Amino acid sequence: MIHWKKIDLYDIPWRILIIAIILTLIGLLALKSISYHHTKTLQNPFYKQVIFLLPSIVLSVLILFLPRYAVHKYSFIIYGAGIVLVILPFLDSEHAGTHRWLNVGLPFAVQPSEFAKIFTVIALARYLSDHTLKMKRFSSIIVPFILVLVPSVIVLNQPDLGTAIIMLTPILPMLYWSGSRPFYLFMILAPILSILTAFDTTLFAIWAIVMGSLIFIAQPKMSIGMSLFFGNIFLGLLSRPLWEMLKPYQQNRLITMLYPEKDPLGAAYQIIQSKTAIGSGGLLGKGWGAGTQTHLKFLPVQESDFILSVIGEELGFVTIAFILILFGYLINQILKYSFLSRDRFSSLVLIGIATILMSHVFVNTAMTVGLIPVKGLPFPFISAGGSFLMTSYIMTGLVMRLSIHYSD
Amino acid sequence: MLKTENIVSQHQYRIAGLVIWILVCILLGRYFQIQILEFERYSSKSNTNRIRKVTKNAPRGLILDRHGEILVDNFPIYVLTAIPGEMINRGLQFKMIADYIESDSAVIATNYNKYYRGQFIATRLAKDLNFDQISRLEENKLNLHGIYYDQIPERYYPSRVKAPHLFGYVKEVDRVIRKSLINEELYELGDLVGWTGLEKQYELFLMGKRGISFYEVDAFGREVGPALELNSQNPDPGQNIQTTLDLNLQAFIEKQMIDRKGVVLVAHPESGEILSAVSSPDYSPDLFTGITTERDWAEIQKDPDRPLLNRYIQGTYPPASIVKMIMEAVLIENTDFDVDVTQHCSGSYQFGDRIFGCWKPEGHGDVNMTEAMVVSCDVYFYKAIRACKIDQVYDMFIAFGLGEKTSIDIPNEVEGLIPNNDYMYKRYGRFGWSKGSLLNIAIGQGELLVTPIQVLNYINLLATRGSSPVCHFVMVGNLPGNVHPELESTTWDRIINDMRAVINHGNGTGRKAQPEINGMEIFGKTGTAENPHGENHAWFIGWAEYLDEKYSIVILLENAGSGGGVAAPLAKIIFSQFASTKNLAFK
Repeated sequence: MIHWKKIDLYDIPWRILIIAIILTLIGLLALKSISYHHTKTLQNPFYKQVIFLLPSIVLSVLILFLPRYAVHKYSFIIYGAGIVLVILPFLDSEHAGTHRWLNVGLPFAVQPSEFAKIFTVIALARYLSDHTLKMKRFSSIIVPFILVLVPSVIVLNQPDLGTAIIMLTPILPMLYWSGSRPFYLFMILAPILSILTAFDTTLFAIWAIVMGSLIFIAQPKMSIGMSLFFGNIFLGLLSRPLWEMLKPYQQNRLITMLYPEKDPLGAAYQIIQSKTAIGSGGLLGKGWGAGTQTHLKFLPVQESDFILSVIGEELGFVTIAFILILFGYLINQILKYSFLSRDRFSSLVLIGIATILMSHVFVNTAMTVGLIPVKGLPFPFISAGGSFLMTSYIMTGLVMRLSIHYSD
Repeated sequence: MLKTENIVSQHQYRIAGLVIWILVCILLGRYFQIQILEFERYSSKSNTNRIRKVTKNAPRGLILDRHGEILVDNFPIYVLTAIPGEMINRGLQFKMIADYIESDSAVIATNYNKYYRGQFIATRLAKDLNFDQISRLEENKLNLHGIYYDQIPERYYPSRVKAPHLFGYVKEVDRVIRKSLINEELYELGDLVGWTGLEKQYELFLMGKRGISFYEVDAFGREVGPALELNSQNPDPGQNIQTTLDLNLQAFIEKQMIDRKGVVLVAHPESGEILSAVSSPDYSPDLFTGITTERDWAEIQKDPDRPLLNRYIQGTYPPASIVKMIMEAVLIENTDFDVDVTQHCSGSYQFGDRIFGCWKPEGHGDVNMTEAMVVSCDVYFYKAIRACKIDQVYDMFIAFGLGEKTSIDIPNEVEGLIPNNDYMYKRYGRFGWSKGSLLNIAIGQGELLVTPIQVLNYINLLATRGSSPVCHFVMVGNLPGNVHPELESTTWDRIINDMRAVINHGNGTGRKAQPEINGMEIFGKTGTAENPHGENHAWFIGWAEYLDEKYSIVILLENAGSGGGVAAPLAKIIFSQFASTKNLAFK
């Protein structure tokens, strides 16, 4: 059991929580600015966020009392509960045409896939911290893949491509952290890249050369190296005829899923509006509440997915830079605790959480400025959204808990 | 507790940190590029230009008659719209508009709330503006910020044909309707969607594809030109559909049916094409376009004659004596029946403890089958049918498609009712009914209910000896399959011969349908249906053979009297029209 007295309060890395709260306050500032036209309190994203903030902070502090071994011991049970959670919305009626939301009798719906992200990381950490595991073996990275694929395939069917991708991302850094050979990770990524590059001859040629040299440098057994190389080339050559075999409407569905901005009515329009809003903000912004672009309601999800556009327009580049650097510092801190951690389990959970947070930040920020296709993913701590805010603070609490230097 | 040691090396930690800061730098660099380097460009764009998305409704496809004449067209009307974000004092502006167009500001406010979708999306305030209203608004344009007008295509009916039940109507999509649509993503508020009739059945052909254009608007909301970075799409008009209707014949029959209540259907049995379909009373197809006031609507809904009901697919009637061809088929095919044996009709027939009357109380004397058909003697069939079982009769009804939907190509067809053994057991219990019920069915009364469209299919099958395709309203390549009753060729001969006698015999109940036109031969049967709602319904069904073509006809006149007395003379008028209508050619 944990003995509160044994923990020196100064040992707890409170700065993690403080950074989170600063980011949330910036988010609230932006939400207050755009929510003037909402009359009902519960529909007002500002008040909704305020209502969720306090329990979120309390939750993150409560996690400090959680014994480390308990998280470790029950990680697979937690994982199982996570799987059940993401299946539950399929039993509920559809919300806005998807099965992402779960009605629990509260005035708002809950998005279980947000919480499931943490559970997946914990289960992965548990598996990879098993001291009997031989990481140099290729088979040791198969089970982790199954662990992340199960929940993400379910989430993909909700359908929620963004969250499904986020669930997959922690596996690579975590495998790297637990000492699997980078070459194996490359072997896993290679087929995906082979398929993606196959549609452009030049890209595919470059990829083939890069892949060939990497295999050469890694010096695997001749037979493995050859079959890996030619297997990938074959897969790439095969993907085009397979694509042709799809019916046009199936192709369209895939294209709009991967590249929503091809749809001139939806995403392309949003990106242009988002970029105009951000660009016109300049260095210092137009001033709080004075954003003409965002207030014109051109952006349909400005309180969540496009909150950075609001901040960029009204509060300018200085605020954006402050947010991004603060976030970089936060992630770097988590990485440091992960490096310094004494046991492998804590270290892996920390790197997993760092990856999830960073993926959210990168995908969301890059999307608002048209660097990557539009994916509906919120910015941690800043975007409105109860389930995700709570998840972010649970992760904050876990980070603080697992960073404390003492043995239990 | 947790024994596995952390093995992360300093090297790994540094690489991970490096990746994080590279990603942060990429994002910062991009924001720097947009916010600092390209600030001027985006700033001017945001100050002077905003992009407005304007959708343009596609005109729906036209509905044509069989010769290509337009039955249902589109006509542009003016609608008044507002951009909510550009209006300055909404209440005051609504009041001013109401003054200029002589409307009520409450109505305008209601429309505003109904169509509102966003601050910068055109919201409809009023429609069907005339030129006077437009010019008065134009004069005061300076006081009306954010008010525009727009042209949208609306349904319009240029021909003399009404046929509202067939064409159906379209509805404007509002929030509630949008929710109820299967493919709701295809529709925006204010779009038109086919709600009944052909408009609904062929919605996917008729609807077309909405066009979108993007305009740059300045800070005052004035359009300064198209937004070039976004591709506009022109509206794609819907596909026309060609119906099987003959405009002139339809108009002629509609005129005949004014002040009558019932149905007339005319078809070409060999192809199943319906040349004319009238359900009376009807209403003007314009009812649902333009300004349907609540009062007009309430009035038409409350009308006891139910003009909104499409009688030929939704009206169910006792078929009465028009089922006697089926009885002939049942008797000849199922029993060793001698058609020449006579039965005595004294005007009524006692069966068990019940007395079944003939329509003619003084009786028909001794009649054989043909004579019984000609005079439509009920007692003959009461006596003859005793040799059969109810399910044999039921099977023959089903063989001719009665009691089942005909898969006509307009929605909401009903099935009618043909009782069989199971049905009677369920309805009346084991001992609650007797063979007496079968006697009633033999003359088309009792529980029997049919729709006129089923009867049309039935007469088409008789006219083609069982080979007619399904009845339909639109020329399509692939029709659903029809029922094809298989009878001995001698049975067909007998039935068709008797139907000719019904018309040509001096005592034939259908003799008043004979137009006496050289080269036109008529086959038919009358029916007089007793019903609980007052006066008898009058039936006439039959076909004409003229210049190597056949034209089938179904007439049902509600509460009008006897088939021979009322329906047959109307058939004669229509048969005469075939001879004078030149254009009734096929293929």
